[in-house]
Amino acid sequence: MPALLAGIVIAVPVIMVLLAGLFDGGGPTWTHIRETLLLRYLGGTISVLALTGALCLLFAVPAAWLVTMFRFPGRAVFEWLLILPLAAPGYVLAYAWADLAGVGGPLQSALREATGWSARDYWFPDINSLPGLAFVLACTLYPYVYLTARSAFVSQSVCALEAARSLGASPGRSFWAVALPAARPAIAAGLALALMEAAADYGAAEFLGVPTLTFGIVRAWKSFGEPAAAARLAFVLIGVIAVLILTERWGRGRAGSQHSSIRWRHVSRTQLTGLPALGASLSCFVLFLTAFGLPVGRLVWRSIETGTRAAPIWDALVNSVILAAAGAVFAFILALMIVLAARAKGPAALFARASAVSGYSIPGAVLALGALAIIGLFPVTLSGGVALLALTWVYASRFTAAGTEPMAAALARAPASLSNAARSLGASPSRQAFEVDLPIALSGAAVAALILFVEALKELPATLMLRPFNWDTLSVRAYAYASDERLAAAALPALLITAAGLVPVILLSWQLSRSRPGEDQ
Amino acid sequence: MSAPLSAHEVTRRYGDRAVVDRVSLSLPPGQITALLGGSGAGKSTLLRLLSGLEGVDEGEIRLGEEILSAPGRTVPAEKRRIGLIFQDFALFPHLTAARNVAFGLKHLPKAEATARAQAWLARLGLEPRANAYPHELSGGEQQRVAIARALAPEPAAILMDEPFSGLDPSLRDSVRDAALDAIRAAGIPALLVTHDPAEALEHADRIAIMSQGKLLQEGTASEIYTRPVSAAVAGALGPVNRFPASAAPAGLLNGQDAGALILVRPEGVCIDPASPVRATILAARMTGPLTRLTLDLQGLKLTALVPPMSGIVQGTDIGVRLDPALTFTFASGKV
Repeated sequence: MPALLAGIVIAVPVIMVLLAGLFDGGGPTWTHIRETLLLRYLGGTISVLALTGALCLLFAVPAAWLVTMFRFPGRAVFEWLLILPLAAPGYVLAYAWADLAGVGGPLQSALREATGWSARDYWFPDINSLPGLAFVLACTLYPYVYLTARSAFVSQSVCALEAARSLGASPGRSFWAVALPAARPAIAAGLALALMEAAADYGAAEFLGVPTLTFGIVRAWKSFGEPAAAARLAFVLIGVIAVLILTERWGRGRAGSQHSSIRWRHVSRTQLTGLPALGASLSCFVLFLTAFGLPVGRLVWRSIETGTRAAPIWDALVNSVILAAAGAVFAFILALMIVLAARAKGPAALFARASAVSGYSIPGAVLALGALAIIGLFPVTLSGGVALLALTWVYASRFTAAGTEPMAAALARAPASLSNAARSLGASPSRQAFEVDLPIALSGAAVAALILFVEALKELPATLMLRPFNWDTLSVRAYAYASDERLAAAALPALLITAAGLVPVILLSWQLSRSRPGEDQ
Repeated sequence: MSAPLSAHEVTRRYGDRAVVDRVSLSLPPGQITALLGGSGAGKSTLLRLLSGLEGVDEGEIRLGEEILSAPGRTVPAEKRRIGLIFQDFALFPHLTAARNVAFGLKHLPKAEATARAQAWLARLGLEPRANAYPHELSGGEQQRVAIARALAPEPAAILMDEPFSGLDPSLRDSVRDAALDAIRAAGIPALLVTHDPAEALEHADRIAIMSQGKLLQEGTASEIYTRPVSAAVAGALGPVNRFPASAAPAGLLNGQDAGALILVRPEGVCIDPASPVRATILAARMTGPLTRLTLDLQGLKLTALVPPMSGIVQGTDIGVRLDPALTFTFASGKV
């Protein structure tokens, strides 16, 4: 019963959007959007997804292979450094990279100084473009692929690789013919996550001026004041995401035999020397610098330059913490209900789990539309408490899945015989839930709560659409400053969001390094 | 003395397949009954039915005269007072050894529950480990905690699913002895599910043999070992030589029907210099206390287990007879 309730709470905003997209008359705005903008938005989203996906693979897979299979200077540090870009939201990287790579930015200035050219004498890649957006998104999202690829490579059977070698396959061929196909389902899963996030991005696309569906949704609502038209766009976007998920399921295929050998043997890393070692270190270093070091360094530089003089920030910080905490608590309670119910199995638990996962795949802008549609049913206006409540709801709807996963994983590690043992000792179902399942699930709860908090803190489009008037959060403040071309002022809030994001990422990488397969915990 | 736990014509189906098929079995108090069978024989399902983790499709499960399971009516596991011991121990990872043991003592005042838990831990030699968490205990200690936990609430019966197979062989004997002594002392019906015939023969008072959902035979260890009702039962308790009576050389058998199927245990193939039946030793290998011989009796190949003696080497010609107590005759076709 609690699971059913949780599932409904999560699913309602999505269902409202779908209903609105299907049945609300589009009106003249929709006709306009359909005739002039829809193809551009759709084409933009699809192109961004394709290019971001390709870049993510290019960034992540070789890096994961290098740090898993070889020894080279700095390997152990790069292994976790390469996860850090996950901490910075796409819009933060977009601001930093636009600042870095603009005509007046340090990169082009240095180039001009070194060569004596003027700005018209050379071509420089334009970050304010579709490839630029894909590059920025790939910088922040490639760690999803890196993480799944790395764990697939680590957990692959060394025996299979050694067998390939003994059959005369070169190391290169072992990679292409054995390791990569075996890791493909994991890579596809990571890529699907990354692309869902890319499809949901609003801040970076808007800032870099790339028309995508999410961009169009917020614009239809904000500029045209047409929630119905926005809902229709959301309908299209949900379709794109559904195709993405189905493709991943299909790509996963029936291959799933990663854990074929019971006894683990550590991957014995091959020592690289000379030029290959230098190449490996350098490519990892360049990747880290591009995706995190340079842009975040630039933000740090900018904020030190201006300090807090440029703009007050404490009110936004407090607002952010309050809102993110409220969203995290709500999502955490829902996640707990779902996870405990999942122990009992049954259709309600399955439904709740599915709606949590689908909520996670729906962009915040779309869920915000759903919340607006719900508010529209009641005689209230979007202000004050109602707005905060709606926003909390949207956070919970979007991020609950991020909280269920660590707790479900903690429970899944516990053998099924535990609940039989509890029953044979006379524990009622409720006692079993509270005294056995709950404490075990809570061992994964700290991580879950932290992830939920940070995700809510980073969220931009829904916060932008639903926040009460004059109630800025860090993400909204960063967005507003950046939109006004006041990048120096945007740097500090952007940096604070990134710093908050680093906490769970570092925790995650620390956990990863501790819990390798084959090692007892 | 408590009441016997019994199954009467119990059937459990998954889809169309009866995984437990009209099984009747009574577990007498104070005795350990081993349930022996290969994987997929239905042993674990029968245990789940007895424990109330699953309901029966047909038949009844009773404790004494009380009906615990009937079709559509199952006293749930948590109301049955039947202790379970699992292969993976199933200790609660977030509770200490003492609190694991006290988990089933909810009905007692806290002080009394703690004292009882301590007493059980002491009885199994775990007193110094009372405050350790499961992951801090060795495999043998974990299993003893699991046994203490199952016995502490004074259950009406105890069911064990391959409880010792997860243990290191060097630990297994000592843990098993401690565990089974404690269980016998409790004076309740006890079921030991196992796939190891040696464990069943050595440690159980009674043995029940299952195959493909059916109970093939039930009785004391020596009954089953020396008087199997079918070739399948004989085969379930250890290796056998199996051949049609017509294939035996003259003088080996005592006038069995030529169409009969003969089963003889390797230790029933004896060396007897006086025997007119001659055999050639094809191979001789030490297997610990006994030597395993591969014999050729004029075309019939037999395996024998004999005490070590001089002159048993490959190629030697020896006299052979069969021990009638370990030779079983079945009508051909009854497998």
